[in-house]
Amino acid sequence: MKNNSFKLILIAVVALVSVWSLWPTWRDYALTKQLKSYHSKEDSLKFSIDHRAEIEQVHEKSLKLGLDLRGGMHLVMEVDILDLIDQKAWNKDANYYRIMANVRNATRNSSTNTVELLASEFGKENIRLSRYFYDMRDSDQDIVSRLKKEEQDALMRAREIIRNRIDQYGVAEPVIQTQGSQRLIIELSGVTDEARVRKLLMGTAKLEFRLVKEPQVLLRAIERVSSVPLQAPLQAQATPAPADSAMAAASGTATSPTPAAVPAIPPALPAPSAVVTKKLSDVIGMLPNGQVFTPAYARDAVTAVLKRQDVAALLPQDTQLLLSAKPEQTASGEKYYLIYLVQKTPELTGGVITEAKATFSAQDAQPEVLMSMNDEGTSKWARITGANIGKQIAIVLDGAIYSAPVVQSRIPSGNSVINGIGSLDEAKDLEIILKAGALPAPVKILEERTVGPSLGSDYIRAGMLSMIWGFTTVAIFMIIYYNKAGIAADLALVLNILVVISVLAGFSAALTLPGIAGIVLTMGMAVDANVLIYERVREELAEGKSLRMAIDAGYNKAFSSILDSHVTTLAAAFLLYVYGVGPIQGFAVTLMIGTGASLFTAIVVTRVLFDLFIGSSFMNEKSFG
Amino acid sequence: MRLFQKTNFNFIRHRKIAYAISFILLISGMVSLFVRGLNYGIDFKGGSEVVIRFDKPVDVGSVRSIMMQAGVNGSVKQYGLDRSLLLKTDFQGDTSQLKTLITNALSSRLPANPSRILSVQAVGPSIAADMKLSAIKALAAALVGILLYVSIRFEFKFAAAGVAAIFHDVLTVLGMFSLLGGLFDFMPLEVDQSIIAAFLTIAGYSITDTVVVYDRIRERLRGQKPSDYERIFNESMNQTISRTIITSGTTMISVLILFFFAGPAIRSFAFAMFAGILVGTYSSIFVAAPIVFDWQSRSKNPIKLRGA
Repeated sequence: MKNNSFKLILIAVVALVSVWSLWPTWRDYALTKQLKSYHSKEDSLKFSIDHRAEIEQVHEKSLKLGLDLRGGMHLVMEVDILDLIDQKAWNKDANYYRIMANVRNATRNSSTNTVELLASEFGKENIRLSRYFYDMRDSDQDIVSRLKKEEQDALMRAREIIRNRIDQYGVAEPVIQTQGSQRLIIELSGVTDEARVRKLLMGTAKLEFRLVKEPQVLLRAIERVSSVPLQAPLQAQATPAPADSAMAAASGTATSPTPAAVPAIPPALPAPSAVVTKKLSDVIGMLPNGQVFTPAYARDAVTAVLKRQDVAALLPQDTQLLLSAKPEQTASGEKYYLIYLVQKTPELTGGVITEAKATFSAQDAQPEVLMSMNDEGTSKWARITGANIGKQIAIVLDGAIYSAPVVQSRIPSGNSVINGIGSLDEAKDLEIILKAGALPAPVKILEERTVGPSLGSDYIRAGMLSMIWGFTTVAIFMIIYYNKAGIAADLALVLNILVVISVLAGFSAALTLPGIAGIVLTMGMAVDANVLIYERVREELAEGKSLRMAIDAGYNKAFSSILDSHVTTLAAAFLLYVYGVGPIQGFAVTLMIGTGASLFTAIVVTRVLFDLFIGSSFMNEKSFG
Repeated sequence: MRLFQKTNFNFIRHRKIAYAISFILLISGMVSLFVRGLNYGIDFKGGSEVVIRFDKPVDVGSVRSIMMQAGVNGSVKQYGLDRSLLLKTDFQGDTSQLKTLITNALSSRLPANPSRILSVQAVGPSIAADMKLSAIKALAAALVGILLYVSIRFEFKFAAAGVAAIFHDVLTVLGMFSLLGGLFDFMPLEVDQSIIAAFLTIAGYSITDTVVVYDRIRERLRGQKPSDYERIFNESMNQTISRTIITSGTTMISVLILFFFAGPAIRSFAFAMFAGILVGTYSSIFVAAPIVFDWQSRSKNPIKLRGA
């Protein structure tokens, strides 16, 4: 019996550890319930202050619910590595652009690493990578490994920056993981304003200070491009390709004007059909003061045209035509955007910004963001402003001009300001993004799943209901079919479920709806081991063996099948965990824990129970039904 | 209580009938797979799904036409929750744009019946392709893994027949999904991540019943003459049929509970599991063991069994 007392202690320890691990979950539930029971705000505030330490502690250790049950946002984002590579390239020529377009196409249809795709595309054309990347003397291999390093760094940097942004925005317990070489998985619970979060995450916040060209240069440039048709010539279409399959393409952060100006209908929809066959000159006009503009409806079309390479080639060296971020309004209420000709090379970039603050401006109470620069930025800024007094410097954010003030005097303090921002929320998000730093390359959203809290609570109710029904039905069936032995199997089942939930809580794995399904399924599978044993015991009893011998034989001979079936189920669940994503992994986890635990509960626990009662009048040959 | 006590079916003699049934099941599934194809969920196809809940009962047809006029092309169906509809569309732009499009259209056209968007899921095509690849990899790995494991524990013939039975089970369920896909509003029967989860679980579980039968055959076969194999196979199957059916039965109970109580998101999964366990139980008796028998009677080598 010594062996048995060891098993008893083991079972007691497992049960105690499970209960101990679930205790915070129970306390968390009780405290939340108590908190909700107060009617006045003061009472609940007082309660939460009094119990603050405990509330925080138990909450941290309690069973977490997955996004699908709690409500929240699951995102898979991809860092545009090709853009990053493009930033590193120099000596770009037509060949380069052509091959890069091929690479971009290839990345869309393949899950191979982008850098390797790049290498193979250049390899196909027998062009050495060193012609465009790093040093002429580098071998292709060196360049590939350096680019891969860049890729890896970029992903890590993107993760940190996105984490910073989320932390500053204020989301409880965000999960941010990298996946593969260029993806990030982001899980945010309880997010209510998804549109804003999406903007916040995707904002590249590429801030640049650029010189604005004189009006006469602008006019000459406009004349040269005015005859360009709005529809891209066929061979050029491959190059810009913003109509990328990814879902994100449409929503650059700051390029869309202001929340108020985003109409209910997507702005892009009505316009294209109207402007598609026209020339650029049909949708640009000139104001009496020499400024060039385009009406609001043509904004997207014009932006697209100006990005085209054949159009850019017509402009003076190192210049670019950019639109203002925010529309102006005529007296009659028509909206239009100004077009500026700016120097392509920025005088200064957002990297020098150390501090940003969203406020309202003193003059007209419009939201704006004040920025201060580091030492290097400050001295550069002083030199730039000093050298360009009387000229305009454009503040460009993600390719749109927020303002283009005329420099009045040299600015020695390193301060600058972005105005022309639509709302205070937008200014605040801009503040967060500027402080957290710019993303190394644009990101796009590949997958987005949002569950509202009300659907989540529906799922919880459905999940609880199926757990209760699942347990009751299986438990009753076992008792009907196997009599007293069924009770032992049910007790083992209770312990099994307890172990599954407590392991989830203990390892801070979230419980998802598929996870609950996994638990319910485990209930049906966990008793299988008992069925196999009990059937064997019945057989042995039928052969006339004594109860003790039959039980012994039953456990021994059934073990092989039980082990085999558990191993195969565990293997399948493990593969599901490795290859599945998100909620499905929750299913795999509960299935693995449940199956593994049932090896212990269904075999050891029931055996101990039988051994304990075998001598007593409580158990006889009829106990196995 | 006892069911299936002292059965005495001649499984081996009637195995040809079982083969014919399985063959018909598989062929009709295959034909449907080629003709009708599969209904892929957004996980594998890309696209957006929106669940909308209304305050009052709503007519699906009217919502469908409202969506059509608003420029949202896709299908509108009842979702298995109260007053909820599921909108499916290929829309792959900005989801907030889609949301405004939907809410504006609904609030202007159905002002008396306010609605809320409960959930939005959008999957881009590139990630959908990746998920498909992962699913295939996982299934292949599972089958190879099981083949290896059962080969080690029993013998290659047993393992191969077991894996053939798994193929049989998964393909039959896949065929059912193809045949019945889109026919029921309460379960879409679309192939998505959760169905892959079901397939893997079926693969892992299907072998459970098979192993129980194998185990008994192995136990009885030791030291017997090949001429007795038919009798031993039959007896082993009859002796284990009770436990085969009860183990599957308890699992089927939980799967049925999931089907009825766990809500629409789990329903297709529960259906797949139910069908899989049913077919899996059938195949472990009527497919796996008979294949081993046929193979063995044609081969010259005696069975060299490993394990306990």
